[in-house]
Amino acid sequence: MEMLVQFLSNTGYYLADYRHILMLVVGSIFLYLGTAKRYEPLLLIPIGFGVIVGNVPFFKGFGLGVYEQGSVLNYLYFGVRTGLYPSIVFLGLGAMTDFTSLLAKPKLMLLGAAAQMGIYFTLLSALALGFLPKEAASIAIIGGADGPTSIFLTAKLAPHLIGPVAIAAYSYMALIPVIQPPIMRLLTTKEERRIRMPEPTREVTRKERLIFPIAGVVLCCFLAPASIPLLGTFFFGNFLKECGVTNRLAQTARTAIIDTATIFLGFEVGASTQGDVFLTAKSIGIFFLGAVAFSIATGSGVIFAKIMNVFSKEKINPLLGAAGVSAVPGSAREVHLMGLKADPSNYLLMHAMACNSSGVIGSAICAGILWSFMI
Amino acid sequence: MYGFEAISMHNGWAMAIAGGLIVFSGLVVLSTVISQLHKVLDFFEDQINRYKVKSTLISNEDPSARPESKPDRENRFLDDLDRVVDRYKTASESMGETFALTELYRLAKEMDAPHPHLTISYLKQHDFLVPLGDGIFSWRQ
Repeated sequence: MEMLVQFLSNTGYYLADYRHILMLVVGSIFLYLGTAKRYEPLLLIPIGFGVIVGNVPFFKGFGLGVYEQGSVLNYLYFGVRTGLYPSIVFLGLGAMTDFTSLLAKPKLMLLGAAAQMGIYFTLLSALALGFLPKEAASIAIIGGADGPTSIFLTAKLAPHLIGPVAIAAYSYMALIPVIQPPIMRLLTTKEERRIRMPEPTREVTRKERLIFPIAGVVLCCFLAPASIPLLGTFFFGNFLKECGVTNRLAQTARTAIIDTATIFLGFEVGASTQGDVFLTAKSIGIFFLGAVAFSIATGSGVIFAKIMNVFSKEKINPLLGAAGVSAVPGSAREVHLMGLKADPSNYLLMHAMACNSSGVIGSAICAGILWSFMI
Repeated sequence: MYGFEAISMHNGWAMAIAGGLIVFSGLVVLSTVISQLHKVLDFFEDQINRYKVKSTLISNEDPSARPESKPDRENRFLDDLDRVVDRYKTASESMGETFALTELYRLAKEMDAPHPHLTISYLKQHDFLVPLGDGIFSWRQ
């Protein structure tokens, strides 16, 4: 009888408190959004299930939890803690990114730069709210709207915030269809949303596509060497794709490798949100600042596109500025849909993808810059 | 510490301004480079094409400008015909005005002349060596 009581007192049902229940609800919402609403299912489903698994209450000291040395979850968490998974994800991203539209219209890269202003605004906001500089930098990078980059920088600067930062970053990426359209509508007129982007006047050659990843490494990684783990693998993946003689490697990088890394990254980030660690006042602050960062990033991209239109003969559809955040391809898709609503024959997707891919580069550079500022 | 005081204390203004400028300038440089990339590639391709065209023209107009191939090297001896004929005539003086081709061949071998068989055949075919019958030859006057 005593043994049975002891067993029951060690079950999750007995050990659960309101925080576990709350997190189970959060995990279930993620699964619902991913499955029923199809909001970024490849991210939300591993994270959601990870949240549920990570919030099963257990007797501390069994070596089960993600934060307990020697547990299976802790071993898998190694890839998050060290920034390994984000680097691998970037390798796959590089192998699936086509820079043709960006090479055809290089000035769209400026929109990717402008959208990073949300990061620096949030850095100031987080400092003003009392976060320490390393924590503020980790929160600010949410404005880049790039999950792997956010996780990478937070793992380096404020590992205790990985859970909330990653959840905030991925949540806002999943909520792009909810967050971005009102900002885009607010900052543009219908006439501006109808602006047609001219087709590229020249064909991008294979040589250009081959040289771009090399030029990217040389220029970006030399500028911010701390971004090597992300941009080095990103451009390497792209070179594998473009060189034309390593199709097998490129194919593996953009399928099996990135899928494996995404599964473990999402699941482990979810599992790291144990109620007792996750549900704190800081997490609420992070979620609030993450929303601010994302909104300002979207807005600054749109406003910068409008400023470019003042000085440029060839007008740019300002909606494209919203795709300067690096949420690939969610924000590009949203820009395209918004453009279609204003003019059903206006196709912005290709141009938006150019801004999107420059946003990936921009946010990775920002991560490198912030990391080097904090060393 | 909160507000502007916290930002100033942690050097926030400098970090934000410097960070923004660095990322912006980095992407501006990258976009400038890729916007000029096709022009640079076109320039180099143009140069390569010009070089190819020039090489073709030179090789058509002046065979001596063509890189020397192995057959060319072998034929060079025959091209310099006057020198060859002089050398063979000098060597054959000791044999008198008439001589057997086998003797001429032996002499050519002794003086290490390149391709003696080929050279003698050439001299014979182009009437530098005049046949007198019974395998005896003399030099054309």
